[in-house]
Amino acid sequence: MHAVYPLVLGALLFAIGLYGVLARRNAIAVLMAIELLLNAVTLNLVSFSAILRDRYGMGQIFTLFIITIAAAETGLGLAIVLLVYRQRATADLGEQRALAEPVEPVTADELSPRNVEAEVAR
Amino acid sequence: MSILAASSTTATFVAPHVEFGKLSPMLIAFGTATLGILVEAFAPRKQRYGIQVGLALVGIAASFAAVLALAGTTASVVAQGSVAVDGTTLFLQGTILVISFVAFLVIAERKTDQNQDAFAAQGASVPGSAAERETTRRGWQTTEVYPLLMFSVGGMLLFPAANDLLTMFVALEALSLPLYLVCGLARHRRLLSQEAALKYFLLGAFSSAFFLYGAAMLYGYAGSVNLAVIAQHVAHPTAGSTLLYTGVALLGMGLLFKVGAAPFHMWTPDVYQGAPTPVTGFMAAATKIAAFGALVRVLDVGLGVNSAENVWRPVMQAVAIITMIVGGVLALTQRDIKRMLAYSAILNAGYLLIGVTSTTAQARAAVLFYLPVYGVAIIGAFAVVTLVRDAGGEATDLSRWAGLGRRAPIPAALLAVFLLAFAGIPFTSIFIGKFAIFQAALAAGSPDLVIVAVLASALAAFFYLRVVVVMFFSDPLPQGPTIAHPSIAVKTALAVAAFATVALGVAPSLLLHLANNSAGILAK
Amino acid sequence: MDTYVPVLILGLIAGGFAVFSVIMGAMTGPKRYNRAKYDSYECGIEPTPQPVGGGRFPVKYYLTAMLFIVFDIEIVFLYPWAVAFDSLGWFGLAEMFLFILTVFVAYAYVWRRGGLEWD
Repeated sequence: MHAVYPLVLGALLFAIGLYGVLARRNAIAVLMAIELLLNAVTLNLVSFSAILRDRYGMGQIFTLFIITIAAAETGLGLAIVLLVYRQRATADLGEQRALAEPVEPVTADELSPRNVEAEVAR
Repeated sequence: MSILAASSTTATFVAPHVEFGKLSPMLIAFGTATLGILVEAFAPRKQRYGIQVGLALVGIAASFAAVLALAGTTASVVAQGSVAVDGTTLFLQGTILVISFVAFLVIAERKTDQNQDAFAAQGASVPGSAAERETTRRGWQTTEVYPLLMFSVGGMLLFPAANDLLTMFVALEALSLPLYLVCGLARHRRLLSQEAALKYFLLGAFSSAFFLYGAAMLYGYAGSVNLAVIAQHVAHPTAGSTLLYTGVALLGMGLLFKVGAAPFHMWTPDVYQGAPTPVTGFMAAATKIAAFGALVRVLDVGLGVNSAENVWRPVMQAVAIITMIVGGVLALTQRDIKRMLAYSAILNAGYLLIGVTSTTAQARAAVLFYLPVYGVAIIGAFAVVTLVRDAGGEATDLSRWAGLGRRAPIPAALLAVFLLAFAGIPFTSIFIGKFAIFQAALAAGSPDLVIVAVLASALAAFFYLRVVVVMFFSDPLPQGPTIAHPSIAVKTALAVAAFATVALGVAPSLLLHLANNSAGILAK
Repeated sequence: MDTYVPVLILGLIAGGFAVFSVIMGAMTGPKRYNRAKYDSYECGIEPTPQPVGGGRFPVKYYLTAMLFIVFDIEIVFLYPWAVAFDSLGWFGLAEMFLFILTVFVAYAYVWRRGGLEWD
């Protein structure tokens, strides 16, 4: 088996994960896509470790760290998603628009002393 | 080449040598955090707040003492090449600890908001529910915030010291994961807060995946994740540089995300606006310092060889220019003070990137000087924001700040000091910092960057001064926001921040000297 | 490829044994069908009826599952230590003790805060 195959597979997995993060709107699906990204990386690390005949198996140790931290990260991420879901009854990322650029940007004279009072009166 | 043969190689293992003394600042921080969890588990609910705050402050002070004790020792790479303890590391660690101390004073504040801190009584309860009213009535508090933030501080101490990519990754996650959580715990405006946590988490996890993919590529290129070994391979290439270039690009994306540089800045305004304001101040200052420390170490120790520098420098310069333009222009359009300060943080990341791309010792010293002075000022600015309150939390809309200077001269004057410093008015610390960075960039031969930076500064001066004008030259609102009277802790924090901002502008030589001495020492 | 011959042989033996057992069981065993045998298997207890709409898990289940995964995966660090246990000596033992201690701190927190209580 040629050494480049697992690397290509890793790159493809990463690309799929990338598509998932960018295209999916459900937060859980995005979380899964992020897991896919991390798995692509671990595949790369393990195959590099084998290709390079690393005496200390650095790639494999790195993989263990990624697995554990990814587990912690997912636990945390699911907790946050759950919190948002309980509040809004949706985990759709497209709905998370409370924090965003203002639709109508503030203009310079809008904040001038006269207009501020009008603003408050409104 | 068969990959199957590799599994037959076995290695005899030698027990690693770990210099615990040199690692003591980080060990103390992580130890304090672990103790904090035990306090959460076993201390009675009423006493947790006091114990946690005391423990965190003592932990930070002890860690700072450890940094001072290590100052002046010879630069060395410890723990089998994983952690570099050198002048730059110690300078940044000291800075992070001082800033964390000030930030914790603001975070622990309870006097400004009816004897409650800035965090939800119980993170899991739905806002407005009966469960939440019950927990609030009983005076419950999420005191887990303090151990969580101590873990974050530990990660920040390790991040700029990490000398291999694995340690750097662990530090990155140790500093980020607690922050994702704490961002979602604001007592008021929970909706915004939770949304900020969600966005920060998803984008942060996304960017750390890029960091990891880059690390994997560099591992494939050099056969090691150690920065010094990577540098050797870059200096004497044995293979094609495809893996190197992809690795550097991906790793850079991960680091630039943490730094908050455009085009990876999208999370910054949303998270800064939604997070509890004291935490925003902490993030804006300390995370930025740690992330720039790590960026400098990767670029200097791992990729500081000429052939590599010629590859990453133009890209980083472009990123610096984009960052300054995005930060400066978008800050103009903001009506929320926290969001405006977020864009100002992006703009400042741009200035710092100029210093990073000019790899001279002078530029390094300028970056080291800029980080603490910027950090102290931004913490002070966010601390003032916590004082201006409406019924539903802080009044962050700029239109509500009209005439604040007449109703509350002291907080308004303090904020004016910080904003004038950001605007780069002479006799403030950030003016000296900017001057040092621009001077270093000119000496390193990149006048184009300086021109953009000066134009961005002029633009920035406009929106900083606009806030000052709104505060001092408008009539106060009839039903304006109330100004909370803070405890002595927050008063101290504000006084320290304002004093440092002015004093380091008038007499910067001590810190400049320290930065100069520290910048040259980089253990390789 | 040579290294894989024993693995292949083992696989063939295992597969052969599995096929043999199934066929022999069907040929020699008694065949008594009843309602309980046709029911879906659920750890030997009465199967819970499937709720309308695919069913939802109680959130308690999610919490327990998450705690299980996190604690379960942390233990993965014992594996590399077990491999190099000899050469790491007392240093490794002390470090692993510290590691387990920190995991126990987290466990103590979960336990005291009622994370392990189902009701």
